[in-house]
Amino acid sequence: MSEHSHHPPMLQYQPALPISNGKACLWLFLSTEIMFFAGLIGTYIVLRFGAVAWPKPHDVHLSEPIGAFNTFVLICSSVSIVLALEAAKRNRASEAKGWVLVTFFLGCVFLGVKGYEYLAKFDHGLYPQNPHGQIHEKADLNYAAAIRKRLLDLRAEIEPKTPRTAEDEQKLAVIDQISRDLLEPAETAARENPDSPEWRILMLRLAFAIYPPQYEEESPVGEAFDIGASTAQLQAAPLHLVAFQQNDQTAAADHALGDHDSGHAHGLNDVHSWLRLPVMIPGGGLWASTYFLLTGFHAIHVLVGLIVFFLMLFVTLNRTQIGLIENIGLYWHFVDLVWIFLFPLLYLF
Amino acid sequence: MSDHGHQHESHLADMLADHPDDHTHGGIMQYLAVFAALCVLTGMSFFTYSSYWPFSKEVAWAFMMAVSCTKAMLVIMFFMHLLWEANWKWVLTIPASCMSIFLLLMLVPDVGLRQDNGWAWYSRDRWMFAANKPAVENSVLKLLDEQAVKKHSPADLQ
Repeated sequence: MSEHSHHPPMLQYQPALPISNGKACLWLFLSTEIMFFAGLIGTYIVLRFGAVAWPKPHDVHLSEPIGAFNTFVLICSSVSIVLALEAAKRNRASEAKGWVLVTFFLGCVFLGVKGYEYLAKFDHGLYPQNPHGQIHEKADLNYAAAIRKRLLDLRAEIEPKTPRTAEDEQKLAVIDQISRDLLEPAETAARENPDSPEWRILMLRLAFAIYPPQYEEESPVGEAFDIGASTAQLQAAPLHLVAFQQNDQTAAADHALGDHDSGHAHGLNDVHSWLRLPVMIPGGGLWASTYFLLTGFHAIHVLVGLIVFFLMLFVTLNRTQIGLIENIGLYWHFVDLVWIFLFPLLYLF
Repeated sequence: MSDHGHQHESHLADMLADHPDDHTHGGIMQYLAVFAALCVLTGMSFFTYSSYWPFSKEVAWAFMMAVSCTKAMLVIMFFMHLLWEANWKWVLTIPASCMSIFLLLMLVPDVGLRQDNGWAWYSRDRWMFAANKPAVENSVLKLLDEQAVKKHSPADLQ
């Protein structure tokens, strides 16, 4: 009786899944992650395709080659972590560690490139929200007021300087010129004849001078831009002067750092980087929110992977560690998977 | 519990020791082939963005999504080893896929509702602060179709 109860044959433990607990947990975690990112990406698609206007990639300083390069980096890192697992299966600990090191390095490259991309956006006032965000949805009176405030702030900063340098004088001249030739006509027209579309044209001219949009040629917006360009001829002279007054050094610097700006026409904000005037990007606010949310969450996942890879550098990665390498590998492939969808959605759509 | 886990791990190691060429999956060459395929596919979706793409933007979107799904399947099948896993894989992947696909399908009506297609209108507040419709900018610049300007102006919706 007692012997029988000590060894009940029916009570043998049967694991629910024929895999290790760690792997089962990781797969459960990944299935929640699939739903997490499906929700984020689905919401992005709703907002993106339901939006009245959405910026073209070059409007918001997105560079497709950089995005493609990052895709390539992540694919390479996926291969290297798979090779680490294969090496560990063959009990070649040092080779496995080498591949983990390669993966760690590639992950760092990805984050570095991502950081560079973020900086290119921050440089142009493309933040998701105030106080840093400079994005205005349309060229209305709020936009004009924001520009006026920025110009006043700049003037208040430069004017009190007692020995003003030639550069300061130049800056003041540029500020004067913008308010005289671009801002004031628009504001005056809005005040005197608010029902006429004239002030909106002038306001758009101001916005395009500060931050020229990249429009597709065949779209109706393209037509609008062409007409905008022809009306811009009216004020081509003052703009020319403004551009002329920049010193050669800044021009050279602009050309040197033109890499991430490729395809984006240069406006006043690019010619005079100290201006940092508010920019008019239709749909820009929603773009910034979704872009930084999606890439930010992805970057956090990359960061977590990198921390684990770093810790793995202190472990002997022989055959006993197959489970560990396989699990972090699964996680890393999932991070790669998310980027496979984010890259076309964010950069190419 | 941890004892069991340890046993399991060592069991796994034993199994692999018994069958060093256990991977009926083709090994490193296969991984490299998948890598090459992923690179080519990335190049293909990048190609849709170039000026050489002969079809419309909508076709490009569909094509890119098809390419992305192919890439995802390659990664899942080969790199994540799901091709060679036992039947337990369906227990986790099918519910998760169903739920995410269902979520995306549930979001589809929102895309339609958010578009200004004549039967779903923006709220007044949204008109006040949202970007102008490109067509509106166009008409404003043309100074021609005042009717269109009126129709889309926020004042009209008050």
